[in-house]
Amino acid sequence: MSEFVQHIINGLASGTIYALVALGYTMVYGVLKLINFAHGDVMMVGVYVGYATSRQLERDTSQSFFGVTLIFLVAMMTCAALGFFIERFAYRPLREKPKLTALITAIGVSFFLSYSFQVETVVGGLTLLPGAAPKAFPEIIKPTEWLVIGDRDIVIWNWQVISIGIAAVLMTGLQYLVFKTRFGMAMRAVSFDHRTAGLMGIPVDKVISFTFMLGSALAAGAGILYAIKDTLVQPLMGVTLGLKAFVAAVIGGIGHVPGAVVGALALGLVEEFVVGYGSSTWRDAVAFGFLILVLLVRPEGIFGRMTAEKV
Amino acid sequence: MSSAAPTGTGAGVSNNGGAATLLRVQDATMQFGGLTALTTFCLEVKAGDLQGLIGPNGAGKTTAFNVMTGVYRPTSGDIIVDGERVNGHLPHQVNRAGLARTFQNIRLFKDLSALDNIKVACLADDRPASSMFSRTRVNALRKQGNFVGARTLDAWGNYLDWWRALLTTSGFRADEERITERATRLLEVMGLQHRKDELARNLPYGEQRRLEISRALATSPKVLLLDEPAAGMNTREKSELMILIRKIRDDFKLGVLLIEHDMKLVMGICERITVLDHGETIASGTPAEVKNDKKVIEAYLGVESKELQA
Amino acid sequence: MNGVLKGLLPFAVAIPLLWLAQFLTKDTPFLVILSLTVGVNITLAVSLNIVNGMTGQFSIGHAGFMAVGAYIAGVVSKMTSVYGISFLPEGVSDQVLYVVSLLAGASSAALFGFLVGLPSLRLKGDYLAIVTLGFGEIIRVFVQNTELFGKALGLSGVPQRTSLFSCFFVVVVVVVVARRIAASSHGRALLAIREDEVAAEAMGVNTTAYKVRAFVVASFFAGLAGGVFAHYQSIVAPSSFTYVKSMEIVVMVVAGGLGSTTGAIIAAVVLTLLPEALRSLFLNITGDGSIAQRVEQIRMPIYGLLLVIIMLVRPQGLFGTQEIWQVWPFRKRAKPASTTPGAP
Repeated sequence: MSEFVQHIINGLASGTIYALVALGYTMVYGVLKLINFAHGDVMMVGVYVGYATSRQLERDTSQSFFGVTLIFLVAMMTCAALGFFIERFAYRPLREKPKLTALITAIGVSFFLSYSFQVETVVGGLTLLPGAAPKAFPEIIKPTEWLVIGDRDIVIWNWQVISIGIAAVLMTGLQYLVFKTRFGMAMRAVSFDHRTAGLMGIPVDKVISFTFMLGSALAAGAGILYAIKDTLVQPLMGVTLGLKAFVAAVIGGIGHVPGAVVGALALGLVEEFVVGYGSSTWRDAVAFGFLILVLLVRPEGIFGRMTAEKV
Repeated sequence: MSSAAPTGTGAGVSNNGGAATLLRVQDATMQFGGLTALTTFCLEVKAGDLQGLIGPNGAGKTTAFNVMTGVYRPTSGDIIVDGERVNGHLPHQVNRAGLARTFQNIRLFKDLSALDNIKVACLADDRPASSMFSRTRVNALRKQGNFVGARTLDAWGNYLDWWRALLTTSGFRADEERITERATRLLEVMGLQHRKDELARNLPYGEQRRLEISRALATSPKVLLLDEPAAGMNTREKSELMILIRKIRDDFKLGVLLIEHDMKLVMGICERITVLDHGETIASGTPAEVKNDKKVIEAYLGVESKELQA
Repeated sequence: MNGVLKGLLPFAVAIPLLWLAQFLTKDTPFLVILSLTVGVNITLAVSLNIVNGMTGQFSIGHAGFMAVGAYIAGVVSKMTSVYGISFLPEGVSDQVLYVVSLLAGASSAALFGFLVGLPSLRLKGDYLAIVTLGFGEIIRVFVQNTELFGKALGLSGVPQRTSLFSCFFVVVVVVVVARRIAASSHGRALLAIREDEVAAEAMGVNTTAYKVRAFVVASFFAGLAGGVFAHYQSIVAPSSFTYVKSMEIVVMVVAGGLGSTTGAIIAAVVLTLLPEALRSLFLNITGDGSIAQRVEQIRMPIYGLLLVIIMLVRPQGLFGTQEIWQVWPFRKRAKPASTTPGAP
């Protein structure tokens, strides 16, 4: 029983991280109807930025509240900028082209990011690109047991609480932004029909740019949380984590904000249980198995609505 | 043609009394969530009919087309094409049953040549009539209600078709020649022979509309549904097109149902008109009957008369 | 029957030429290995083009099907090589078993293509990309967990039976098949799906069935390429069939022009030989192995960048949807794409 509860806690903790990444996919899909394949790789860049920042700080500073906040902020802002650039220079010129064009571009950007980071580049003692070898992510949050029940039957770690806490705050904020603010209204209008929204005087380009920046920043935050848990950074982490998050977004119904969260939590739980009661070597196959199952049973996702093409 | 038609599907009220009913829509209703886009829609098209479907914008005309052609599955009601119930079937199955359509916003295969656009649609007749797997035999089986048999026969035919194509047998070459010939003829019918090798996207607007009609004809339909075939044309082009449509109807012995906005045009060409408003059929009859129908004047022309008064 | 004979003409021409090529290259193993890599990549690119180019779907998991073909063919070959066919001379028996194992691998890949395609091809295009990618991952994880396939180390000791002849015979088959599909009513149906799925369906094209068929054919040849690959590499490891391999093939198809078989061939040849050429160039000039090694590393980000640049600058790729003889500059033929665009 206690093992079961432990799995649920672990599953939820990793689910919240997936959720933060999944939100980026779902928001971008909402406004652009594009699967931003590069999203996971933007996240990976964020983790490396966080890594580099923390290495610049003193060990004590990096573990302080100020240090951790700084690390998160720098990573999130860098990624927001990266997201902005990718949208501006790779996706925007193709917005009115066939969807396949944008999809191929997104795959290209993803590939470029994840593999250029594998080419170790050191110029004058300054590491520009880290290379393929995994690096240990600094312990910016020292893992401590937050709550121990029984004879270590159930252990809740502090980073799990922090993950869930940060994720909850960010998601509530996002929900507020989308549904209670003028900007959110603009976003929803663009998502509904960006041409008409443009005719109504909504600055479509700005809305889309901002959505990308927001999604990328969330991804960076999620990535650092993931790195704290996983203790490793490597250039291909974005591909794996990104795909899982994407799967979560599809399961919840892509384009649907709370759906992405529910999908991500569900995926986190399923994965944890398969690993806990099955074998850990199958971990990476779980998400896709789950995805194919969902697509078979309910292709539009849990909350999604099937949109028929207008004829 | 007449031998393939079913025997006696009930006498309808049409000016074409003797001909067989090729399309019958019975109480078709289409709801999207809470919105009812089409309410108990009834229609009957016989061979040789030229009917019109009119109504103000958003009246549910295109919805009616989509319901008939299998794009939407009607919430209730039946669509019967040449004696075969097709509601719930996929669009390609409805097409096989004998219903072909054009689209309001032209949907040609833009990067294929005009000829290839038509050749794609020649699938309905792509096997020779003498073949064991001919479409006629497949359709005959399906009409007997032997769906499994029809599908098996078609699947085997298809399988052999692939091998014939891969080995380029003489039978395959003959089929290809036949298809090309048929497609060329259909281009000529619409006066598009000079555009044969032109990409569809490069054709002028009016020719794109005509190409879409000949593409629909290539599927050997029994009833042709035309969604605003004259949209965007000037008066002269419109009347030319209408003459062409009438000629097609006579040459191919089809039933034609068309959606059109231009009342004058519809009144002039159609022998029978159905009027939709807010998804409901408010009138149905000869142009004269419809023209004098109070509801129609209110719903459709009423807007104009009010405007005139103002 | 006369038609069939005519249909077999390309093979009648190809077979002696391939024998000749095999004879001429028998003392240059390096050239042979390079040619085999090129041949496998051509097979992969041309087959993927049937799905991504002709049908307009977007599969990015072609390496997964290649893996199925490689592993199944490898296992079949390994297991049967112990026995051989008793009444045949050894050489003939080997060749028969080779063909059998290739077909087993290709058929299994086709079966997987069917299983993956059936649910996902009913969905919108972008889902297919994800599902195919996921399929590749599942295959990799599955192989890594299966004793029969040698787990993470891979399958070793697959008999080396691939010759230049057999490899390029497969290439000839896939090219002929792709071209003939394109020239038949099946090909036209696939093109129609690429152009406008709704209209294709309304014109009587069973779009789901055609998409699945295209997918099955492409998977079959990916499996065949995998089998050929397994029989010259001798070691089949999961690392040969990652996302990177799939992307490599996608880049070839996109660069050559989605829908152009000749484009896919040219792109496959260039993109296989170019890194090799650069590598040996660096090795010869600098004599430094590490720079040559970096060429391999830099290849990947360049592929990514190449995709983006092609999409931004020339989304139709090298030849667009046309074949080389249609765009050959010396041939006076109306290039439809360059005529004045019509009204919307």
